[in-house]
Amino acid sequence: MNLKRQLLLVSLLTLMLPWAGCEFIRETESALRSGQQQMLAGTARALASSMTQYQEEFPASDGTLEAGDQLYIHPLASRPSIDGYFDDWPLERESLRAMRGADGPVHVALGALGPAVYLYVEVVDRDVVYAQSQSIVLDKGSQHADRVNLINSSPPYLDEVIAFAAEAPGRILSYKQTAYGFAPEPTITAYWQDVPGGYQLEARIPSALLGTHLGVVVSNTDDAATPGTRSSSFEGRSPGPAARRLPELDAVATSLVQPGMRLLLTDAAGWRVAVAGEIDSESMRASGSGFVRRIYDLLVEPGKEAAFAEPDPQGREQQTYVSSALSGRETATWFRSDESGKAVVAVAAPVQTDGATLGAVVLQQGTDAILSLTNEGLARLINLTLITTIVVAAVLLGYATWLSRRIRRLSIAAEAALENESLQSALPSALAEDEIGDLSRSFSSVLKQLGDYNDYLRSLASKLSHELRTPLAIVTSSLENLEHEPLNEAGVGYTNRAREGADRLRRILAAMSEASRVEELMANVEPEGFDLKAVLDSTITAYRDVYKDRSFSFDCRLDKAATLGSPELLIQMLDKLVDNAVDFSDDGDTIRLGLTATDDGYALTVENPGPPLPEKMRTQMFDSMVSMRSGKNTQHLGLGLYVARLIASGHGGSIEAHNTDGGVVFEVTLPPTETV
Amino acid sequence: MAKRIAIVEDEAAIRDNYTAAFRREGYVVDAFEARAPALDAFESRLPDLVVIDINLKDDVEGGFELCRELRARSADLPIIFLTARDSEFDAVSGLRLGADDYLTKDISLPHLMARIAALFRRLDAMQKPHGNESRITRGDLVIDTERMTIHWRDIAVGLTLTEFWLVHAMARYPGHVKNRQQLMDAAQAVLDDNTITSHIKRIRRKFLAIDADFDAIETVYGMGYRWLSD
Repeated sequence: MNLKRQLLLVSLLTLMLPWAGCEFIRETESALRSGQQQMLAGTARALASSMTQYQEEFPASDGTLEAGDQLYIHPLASRPSIDGYFDDWPLERESLRAMRGADGPVHVALGALGPAVYLYVEVVDRDVVYAQSQSIVLDKGSQHADRVNLINSSPPYLDEVIAFAAEAPGRILSYKQTAYGFAPEPTITAYWQDVPGGYQLEARIPSALLGTHLGVVVSNTDDAATPGTRSSSFEGRSPGPAARRLPELDAVATSLVQPGMRLLLTDAAGWRVAVAGEIDSESMRASGSGFVRRIYDLLVEPGKEAAFAEPDPQGREQQTYVSSALSGRETATWFRSDESGKAVVAVAAPVQTDGATLGAVVLQQGTDAILSLTNEGLARLINLTLITTIVVAAVLLGYATWLSRRIRRLSIAAEAALENESLQSALPSALAEDEIGDLSRSFSSVLKQLGDYNDYLRSLASKLSHELRTPLAIVTSSLENLEHEPLNEAGVGYTNRAREGADRLRRILAAMSEASRVEELMANVEPEGFDLKAVLDSTITAYRDVYKDRSFSFDCRLDKAATLGSPELLIQMLDKLVDNAVDFSDDGDTIRLGLTATDDGYALTVENPGPPLPEKMRTQMFDSMVSMRSGKNTQHLGLGLYVARLIASGHGGSIEAHNTDGGVVFEVTLPPTETV
Repeated sequence: MAKRIAIVEDEAAIRDNYTAAFRREGYVVDAFEARAPALDAFESRLPDLVVIDINLKDDVEGGFELCRELRARSADLPIIFLTARDSEFDAVSGLRLGADDYLTKDISLPHLMARIAALFRRLDAMQKPHGNESRITRGDLVIDTERMTIHWRDIAVGLTLTEFWLVHAMARYPGHVKNRQQLMDAAQAVLDDNTITSHIKRIRRKFLAIDADFDAIETVYGMGYRWLSD
């Protein structure tokens, strides 16, 4: 991973800022909310205890009743016209109570307005069977018909039935069961509306006709000869008590509720018996785009959907917090709405007397202010930190780019200097006062030391030979003078041996100074154009004379190899390579020379059979005073191949050595004529 | 009368050895270890030949300086540099200053003696009248072995002793290749390959200065050189 990516990653740490901000806002919000919840809970508790004095007003509960057996009579705000359609009812379709019917669901709604109760029944029926005139109430023999019965009673009195059956769609008569059987009841208005796939019944019944308990039974038959299948709104033999808004408790609730709050009272089964007040719905909609809001939703603790705070359309409060209050535990919760930005804090407290739960007080209050505050703060926080993060990331990225470019330039320059074995100019950033500057300066000093060391190695041989020449001259001149002195036989022998030794020393010194002489010559050489092939031909002939126990082959397909340079020096180079090849081969071996034209000039090869080169020496062997020989020839200081390399590079070429099958090949590449 | 040789050499051992050797050959020897005493002595009397080391103790280029002053005093005083410095640059500088020969300390005493003898011989021959018996003529080339002079198209070519012997060795048998060893022997010097190459180059240049079309010395690569004569 490069420096740029690393710093970019580090810059991601600035994302901690919005996170910390959000944490703070969340804390603030939840603190505010819990404060409000506590306050609300206190109010709710007070209300619940004050409700106990209206104990009688709460519907009595024997505790055995199933809530499913009860029907809810919705308070109606306006009077529906009796025409068999639900759309003029001031209720939502969600308020309809669904029951299972023979051919499909049956929907029932009851409403109360003034002295009348309204009934709406919607039946899915594949095949509507109308009643005969005689059989309109009697449901026996072959006189069966589709019908709706409204069962009502006021225990301990017996159930009474109001039957609705149609001879034809339209306004119909309804029949009320009396002690003498069914009789038409003219005070009930009813309308039977046929619709595709069933029928709809709407009726207005004076409240006086009805008892406290209500139930609806729908009988569905497919032909007049068969008894219908009954579906009923209650499970047992008799219907349960109808639940309804109680005007007395409504009045109490209205008197107790505070502005901006909604107060719901439920009975022990959760049926809503009173409603008062409205949540302040004037919401201060928070500013911010959908994007910011989505981030907000991710960050802030989610509440329940705000719609669940609304009073239940079917009349029975079934939210968890209400049920848990009905089981005796005060519970707080909150709701929020994405659309309006509205949040609702809600508390449900049980109303209890003598250990019995009468019902629950549900108190709700909007928290627009809190949410808007945090929401807006959050949006600004997110915007600011987002900008900060981007700016920081951009700055870090630029900084990293700058840093890594400096380092890269330094490394490139250092590598180049290393390749040239010399420090041409100051490395980049050498004057910088930071760590990169230090690095650059250390590099410089390392490279300089390396260069000095290389120079030292290079000049060592010539310096040494130069320094040794004078003492050697003392030795040889003394020996030569000694020869003129009278010596006995042994003395002559010793003198001769000493002279031989001095002579050998002189040759070694000459070899050592050769490299510096070649360098000197190279600097002053005047390149001349010549035919390398002709020169090689003639040189190889000379080698055949010199090395009589080796064979030489020369492989060259070129007619002419025009070269620019110093033929003498190139021959000297070849001398070194051939000398090397001869030393590493055995008597009778063939040393193969070759000259080929390549893309970048000429390749001159000298190949000899012999032991392979040790791999680690391959690059070092052309350096000064590096020898691979193991005592075979004592006069080798490892300067021959160094001289060869000097000459090759002086001609703008290079020299390499490779192992081949059972031998070694040295390859000198020389650039084409025009570039020399 | 015995010839007088002055030797200026800071290394006492070498100085004494050479002094002994010269005396053995019958020369009168004045030995000096630095430039100043040598110059003082030369004030009163110039020797017949001077052997100078370039490096005189702290006087790094003292030999060159001495050579220049001596040459200023006498145009034909034979001067030989005998030094440990074997670089091409030093050799060229020394010869430019008017030295008759530039020898490295590798040279053996017998070789040195031979050269000194040859220099004296040349000096003597200069003072004698011309004699044709010592002349070798090869086309435009005339070699006077007595005076050790060489003329090309009747113009004298200013060669050092070593160069003279190299040309002499090649031109004696035109068309024959002389290898480096043979040339070295002829020059009575121990020279390495590169020195021979530089000598030949210098000789060519001196001839080219007289005749721009000079091409009588041919390089036979890998073998040596030969004199071409038409």
